[in-house]
Amino acid sequence: MSIFEICQWIQDSSIGTGIRESTYVFPLIEASHVLGLAVSVGTIAIVDLRLIGATMTDQPVTDVIEQLQPWTLSGFVSMFVSGGFLFWSEAARLYPSYSYRTKFIFLFLLGVNALLFHTTTYKSVDQWNNDAVTPFRARMAGWIGITFWAVVIFMGRWTAYNLK
Amino acid sequence: MTLLQLFKWFDATPISLIIRNSTYIFPVVEVLHLFGLTLLLGTITVIDMRMLGVGMRRQSIAQVAGSLAPWSIGAAALTILSGILLFLSEAMKCYGNAAFPYKMWFLLGGIILYFAVQRKVTSPTSRVSPGTLKVVAVLSLILWYGVAVAGRAIAFV
Repeated sequence: MSIFEICQWIQDSSIGTGIRESTYVFPLIEASHVLGLAVSVGTIAIVDLRLIGATMTDQPVTDVIEQLQPWTLSGFVSMFVSGGFLFWSEAARLYPSYSYRTKFIFLFLLGVNALLFHTTTYKSVDQWNNDAVTPFRARMAGWIGITFWAVVIFMGRWTAYNLK
Repeated sequence: MTLLQLFKWFDATPISLIIRNSTYIFPVVEVLHLFGLTLLLGTITVIDMRMLGVGMRRQSIAQVAGSLAPWSIGAAALTILSGILLFLSEAMKCYGNAAFPYKMWFLLGGIILYFAVQRKVTSPTSRVSPGTLKVVAVLSLILWYGVAVAGRAIAFV
């Protein structure tokens, strides 16, 4: 069984078909996807902007990161759950889409970026916590975060236009 | 001039035609609309929640609102400008759309609440009660999330 056939099977399942053909469920799931995006990526953007020295520079980096984390995570849950249901309803149409694949490559790279930042540069945050200008690697992590999230949003929206 | 005539005029501007006749301008402008919306709703949510006493409590309300205000306003400008372009390209579709007027009223309410009330009650010199702050925050959340939900609904109603 190929991946495409698996996607076709997922899409043709009763839940997938039910969502796709619903009057209210599909739009509601899509609305939660956008609202989850705003809360998660909106708060990630605030953290990235602090790292590149563009906002809250008079506040400790740890205050910004620690206090926004619950919001980022709740937004993520909403985005992943709603995204999962959207995929369920259109898996076979999404699987061949290049913009959809690109979106996931960049999501993966964002994960790597966050992991590298938290396991290396962020370990020494006590030394630069109150600095308006953070170390080069922290600024890089911030810039990569902002640009790659922009790519993810672009590719996500583009996917809807590419669906056959 | 009736509202219908006005919308017909919006629908026929040179900008409307350029966007309608292009394959890529509309989606690109819509992505910019989404960038703005993400930052606008994200920052507004953090400010409103801080006013409700949830999250960012190590900073004062004035610190959170003051630091994020330029980003909220910049993001709102991007969202509204891109929104105007999207509107011009499909003004007649918006005219008959049940969700569009709701979105506009929520938007007007959100802007008025922000500039007339929210900025004042979140300033460092503000002396309003926590209860007042909470009412303003709840209203702000309802209005801005109302804009987003009604906006998304335009595509479905």
